[in-house]
Amino acid sequence: MRVKRILILAPTLVGLFLLQSYFWVPTFEDQVKGDPGRLTRYIETSIGDASILNPTLAADSASAAIHTLVFEGLIDRDLDLSFRGRLAEAWEIFEEAYLTVDETQRLPDGSAATADELLRYLERARAAGEPALKLVRRIDLLPGRSSVEQIEVTEPGPERRNPVKRQIAVTVRQPPRIKFTLREVDQDFFTKIDRLLGGYGDRIDPSRFVQAADPIVTRERAAELVPPTEHNPVVLFRLRKGILFHDGHEFDSGDVKFTYEAIMAPENLSPRVPDFEPVKAVEPLGRYAVKITYKRLFEPGFGSWTMGILPEHLLNREALRAEAIRVGRDPKDFSLRHSQFNRSPIGSGPFQFDAWKTDQFIRLTRFDRYWEGAPNLREFLFRIIPDLLTAEVTFYAGTSDAYGAQPHQVERLRHDPRFQSFSRLGLGYTYIGYNMRRPIFQDVRVRKALGMAINVEEIIDYVLYAQAERTTGPYPKQTEFYDPTVEPLPYDPEGALTLLADAGWRPNAEGWLEKNGQPLAFTLITNSGNEVRKAVMVVAQNAWRRLGIKVETLTMEWAVFINERVDKGDFDALILGWSMGLDADLYQIFHSSQTGHFQLNFVGYANPAADALMVRIRQEYNRERQVAMARRLHRLIAADQPYTFLFVGKGLTLLDRKLVRMVEDADGTPRYLTIVPDKLGGIRFHFNQWVKTAEPVLTTN
Amino acid sequence: MLWFLLRTGWKKLWTLFFISVISFAVIHLAPGEPSQIDPMNPRFTPQQLERYRKAFDLDQPLHIQYLRFYQRLFTGELRSFKDNQPVLPKIVERVWNSLWLFLAGTILVWCAAFPLGITTAIRRNSVLDKVTTVVVFALISIPGFYLAYLLIIFVVQTFHVDVIGLRTFGHQGRNLVWSFMDRTWHLVLPSVLGATAGIAILSRYVRAQMLEVITSDYVRTARAKGLDEDTVLYKHALRNGLLPFVTMLGLIVPGLVGGSVIIETIFAWPGIGRLGYEAILSRDYPIVITLNFVAALLTLVGTLLSDLLYMVVDPRIRLEGVE
Repeated sequence: MRVKRILILAPTLVGLFLLQSYFWVPTFEDQVKGDPGRLTRYIETSIGDASILNPTLAADSASAAIHTLVFEGLIDRDLDLSFRGRLAEAWEIFEEAYLTVDETQRLPDGSAATADELLRYLERARAAGEPALKLVRRIDLLPGRSSVEQIEVTEPGPERRNPVKRQIAVTVRQPPRIKFTLREVDQDFFTKIDRLLGGYGDRIDPSRFVQAADPIVTRERAAELVPPTEHNPVVLFRLRKGILFHDGHEFDSGDVKFTYEAIMAPENLSPRVPDFEPVKAVEPLGRYAVKITYKRLFEPGFGSWTMGILPEHLLNREALRAEAIRVGRDPKDFSLRHSQFNRSPIGSGPFQFDAWKTDQFIRLTRFDRYWEGAPNLREFLFRIIPDLLTAEVTFYAGTSDAYGAQPHQVERLRHDPRFQSFSRLGLGYTYIGYNMRRPIFQDVRVRKALGMAINVEEIIDYVLYAQAERTTGPYPKQTEFYDPTVEPLPYDPEGALTLLADAGWRPNAEGWLEKNGQPLAFTLITNSGNEVRKAVMVVAQNAWRRLGIKVETLTMEWAVFINERVDKGDFDALILGWSMGLDADLYQIFHSSQTGHFQLNFVGYANPAADALMVRIRQEYNRERQVAMARRLHRLIAADQPYTFLFVGKGLTLLDRKLVRMVEDADGTPRYLTIVPDKLGGIRFHFNQWVKTAEPVLTTN
Repeated sequence: MLWFLLRTGWKKLWTLFFISVISFAVIHLAPGEPSQIDPMNPRFTPQQLERYRKAFDLDQPLHIQYLRFYQRLFTGELRSFKDNQPVLPKIVERVWNSLWLFLAGTILVWCAAFPLGITTAIRRNSVLDKVTTVVVFALISIPGFYLAYLLIIFVVQTFHVDVIGLRTFGHQGRNLVWSFMDRTWHLVLPSVLGATAGIAILSRYVRAQMLEVITSDYVRTARAKGLDEDTVLYKHALRNGLLPFVTMLGLIVPGLVGGSVIIETIFAWPGIGRLGYEAILSRDYPIVITLNFVAALLTLVGTLLSDLLYMVVDPRIRLEGVE
């Protein structure tokens, strides 16, 4: 019967045809099936797409993943996180310091402090081996000059709202200045000079040199217009010769200057402005050197030069005008932000841009004329997969090469023989912050007791599947600034009760703690959408209630949480996290001047000793001294407990075991090496040496 | 016959016109007038409104807006809000991707549902029938996405092979055969999943239809004539039993547009369903309206198709005026 046979045969044949296709597709073990070229490609997945492929304009991590391969900075960080030259071959950091001459004063030897006399006095002291001038390389006299400057003043508008900005003209009579060129940066230089000159600098009154219609303005802004003393740290970069952009144009000092100007140009709205605002000038010294002068002492500014350098010849004013005309836009409104460059960038990094399909993938190919030699891999594919499970299965199938495990998967995947794994500690920490404007939190014993009541180890084990470490202070644990000798608060509810009793909080008849008839009660808040923080909140509430503290909890949507509560300082205690940089600067988070609305010291921490340290740390260019001060600051903050420091998250990056490093010996024989993570657990440090082999070649992990 | 085609075509054109008006009205049906910016709604920024104005000529009278919109659509000038690409080529590309999934799914449904339905009808109340009933109802009830995840995890964990997307990502394929087989493999899971519900439902229809037919008088007559069982079932009963499904064949055509949003999303399949879904999420009105229009068009084509097929297979149906 024909119909019957068709009814049986058709589904069988269709099914068989579909299923046999399985034998044609590559598997994790046999990735070269059907395409040997697979081994020359590295595929990484990302939840989100890049936003803009221009290192001066983007601030998201997906874009950064592409920038690091396409662009090259002047410097980057070595395996141990110290700085290493890239586009810059070497650098030198020194200081230019300025002292304003005040002719009304007298020098210690009794002579009038005219510019010439002062210069002669200093030269004589230097020749005599005066220790204050030990670091001075040369002393120059700069002539004075007069000018009229426009300055902007902000005045409170009607009803003290909407401040009004106004330009006013100021006559500035800049007296002659003594310029010291120092061998290295010394934040105490003027203290020493003052001692040598008998308090000279302190007595200078800048308002004498400034004239304006409004005397208040002259008084308040004079020191800014004619600073009595000024520190100008200088970084002198010597650039590598013969480095090419992907279009074959040679990189030089003009590109560095251009990149800086592109960031600072207001029309580009660069998110990197705060990093480069302390820069006073970028001056090319010939084609292969560039001098960067800072307005003030600001050590963290140096690290900003890890940012990728843009090619000037493709983005300068003429190039942008030509592009605007080509695409039919008005050249006047056409800035770097509008350029097609941001979707097809050209840099000087090891990989060059090839294609970008929005929400699908970005493809980079290796740059054969890269100055350190072309990478081994030919292609870098950045695939966008918004779904976590999908990203995971593509890794198991061998169609992506790396995967960041979820905490609950770590134990299972760490021992999987198909993969190599790299554990890394995060740069961010989670904490409970106490609003120290509230009377109950002003006593350090209360803050300490609250911390001691929480079993952090338990949170780490049960909430985070042991994928976290305790932290005791504000610095990332991988940096030298973190003082490993600081002990975490012990878990000790009994001790906590004793501390609270010392602070005057005793249980009442119902068991609740109270002082002078007032119960110990507050609200703990955090943002919704973060399950870990929510779990911490429940644990903390439970622990504190057991001590007899009336704790209410509240989660709220992120925007409300930040805008209405955190920024306005309207909370008792909160759970939040900081993601830290690698520098030692904590000024914004813990300095007492940063406690206003919309500032980051929203817990209102104020400790004069810590304040002084924070200011000195960001001005210190000597690594050893900086580390010593940072550790002291860590100890101070840990003792004050403005936060209960909880934990730092850990992550596990998995890689296909078939990925290894390959270097060639002098005679050209290949040698395979394991992939070495850097101190942060990042694995891409030797990325240019990576190869993928058809079978695993190394057995060790 | 030609007369019939012309007349139906004319009627359908009118329907299409009304649908086009309704699709267009979507712009004005969105909450509030688009021209009134709600400061509390972050989706409505002044830039957004400016784009609206440009794309839909909001400052013109309604009928002009309507004409301009469709003029743009048909001349290929209408562009997506999201990436500023022309809408029609974008939709054509996605339809092409979805078409394969749709075809594979449909073939699976029809190939599997008929034998299953017929067998269970013939062996009514047998163990096979009971087991199939349970399985079929289970398949109808289990949410597709859940089944999809289970299947993906099972296949990937067991066979270590890629199942996401149109083809193995990062593989160029040694030659056309490899590429074709790679694409075929990537069709397997999504089409099987897309077909499960279809098989389950359709096989129940087929079973019911067959049961009705094999208990009817002419089948008894055929048996009484002494015909063998296969001839009775497959020649006499099945042919009549098939009739209602011919209509269905035409009506599945619009499923091409909206049929597989979930499957396409899970499998990262760049198809038309996902395009529509993402367009709705990002308020990409040009895409949404065009898709709406295309879906209407396909539905009309589908009904026309089923009318014609019915005429061909069922001689009892005669069209007025054709004699």
